[in-house]
Amino acid sequence: MSVAARCRSSLLLAGLLMAGNGLAQAHPHVWITAVSELLYAPDGSISGVRHAWTFDDMFSTYALQGIETKQKGVYSREELGSLAQTNVESLHEFAFFTFAKADGKKQKFNEPVDYYLEYKNTALTLHFTLPLKTPVKPKELVLEVFDPAFFIDFKLAEKDPVKLVGAPEGCQMKLQRPSDGTASAQKLNEQTFMGDGANANYGAMFANKITVECP
Amino acid sequence: MPVRFESGLARTLVLGVAAVAVVLAFDGAVHLLMAQNPFGGPRPPAAAEPQIGGIVGWILARQSEFYREISATIRAAKSDGSAVWTLLAISFAYGIFHAAGPGHGKAVISSYLVASQETARRGIVLSFASALMQSLVAVVIVAICAWLLNATASTMCNAEKMIEIASYALIAAFGARLVWTKGGGFIRALQVQRPVPAMAAAQQYHRDHRHDHDHDDDHGHVDDAHDGHSHGPVPSELEGPGGWRRGLAAILTVGVRPCSGAILVLVFALAQGLFWAGIAATFVMGLGTAITVATIAVIAVSAKDVARWLSGAGEGGGTLVMRGIEFGAAGLVLLLGAGLLFGYLAAERVTCL
Repeated sequence: MSVAARCRSSLLLAGLLMAGNGLAQAHPHVWITAVSELLYAPDGSISGVRHAWTFDDMFSTYALQGIETKQKGVYSREELGSLAQTNVESLHEFAFFTFAKADGKKQKFNEPVDYYLEYKNTALTLHFTLPLKTPVKPKELVLEVFDPAFFIDFKLAEKDPVKLVGAPEGCQMKLQRPSDGTASAQKLNEQTFMGDGANANYGAMFANKITVECP
Repeated sequence: MPVRFESGLARTLVLGVAAVAVVLAFDGAVHLLMAQNPFGGPRPPAAAEPQIGGIVGWILARQSEFYREISATIRAAKSDGSAVWTLLAISFAYGIFHAAGPGHGKAVISSYLVASQETARRGIVLSFASALMQSLVAVVIVAICAWLLNATASTMCNAEKMIEIASYALIAAFGARLVWTKGGGFIRALQVQRPVPAMAAAQQYHRDHRHDHDHDDDHGHVDDAHDGHSHGPVPSELEGPGGWRRGLAAILTVGVRPCSGAILVLVFALAQGLFWAGIAATFVMGLGTAITVATIAVIAVSAKDVARWLSGAGEGGGTLVMRGIEFGAAGLVLLLGAGLLFGYLAAERVTCL
């Protein structure tokens, strides 16, 4: 082997080694089952989104750690009040994991209102409403719920995950769920590993996409 | 030493390739740093809806499965003691798969090993020691915060966040130190490439320092004793007692930050009145984690050995390549630390919801 060839091969190897080293893939520690409602104003424009997010067993227990209650194991809405507030305040940092586009234009949300926590069947559910900064009346609205960094695994509820509340006649809704890992595990996609900035869209692979088209 | 007497063209080529390697390594790291910003806005979904596939998808699916079974098994253990065995088995499997994700020191340990001419055996010891420490820290945090003080999740989470920031700062500092020492070696290796007068000086240097590195022979790095030896650390910093102190720095750097998964499991076990089962699960999980991290560390060290062979260490060019790789690996540790510290890179974010 010539010196140059040797150098090249070893550098290639070094590059691979370092790329492999750095290839970071996040994994979730929190699972959320989401039920969402799209809220329509009387004039047919969309005014906001109402979420009900149910945390998994383990995270629910973790979140309840140290909260004093009158009756052991029973948490009233009032007793969970400050935790609910902490929740929505923390969610601000992550844009509430809710991303809306009206006719392709990104929409902004105001701070959440009407938020509270509910404890039922060993699981915590966070209810909150995200008002749109400016109500919109688009032909097509795309709403996505996901964590771009995939530390939280969002899953739309099996049954009736999305409701249109007060939507005008003729509005059609489509749902797109993330493919679960097992089904696609057989598909080795080079892009996942080699693609330019593959990690950037990492969480988007797990996005729940809701598309509403109105006439 | 054929390389040293080859034409200037060959030398230039070698230098160029080495430079490219370093640039590539840094580019890759920067790419990585920029890629995962949890604080950034939403990213446009990819046009073709990429599928999470292959090995990564499979590992993700497995570890999610195991993790979610842990809570069910702890609940079951409340009434049926034998479920604890199932819990331990699941925790072990979870640890193995879980460590394939970021935040368990794979990158730091592997890069450190590559940067500092460590042996695979030491890599394994470092991996196990740091995983053990991670488990210990998790248990101590939950024991103090949740069990003794009955602190709320958000208090505990803030404590975790502080530890996290400290650990990132440690990684950055550790990386900076590696870059400092490895930079010296790299620069000296570059100087070796210079024309004859400088060469002579380098040869002199080589002779002077040769005996300092002979102990490398004990660890199978026969080549090291002959490869020009221009790396930075003073002899006391290599193996022996001083070396272990340095290894300890790596263990502390990686081990101080507990795995959020372990904390969740511990708090959950505590709430179920089975704290001891949670502690056992945490240590078994750590064992699984150590196995994965050690495997990757050994691969990293072996890959470097192959690189050493390919580049023909012992010849000037090879030395330069090796020093370049070490320098690049050191830089990667620094970039990782800085990226994590300033939030460009998300490892295992502490979730304070």
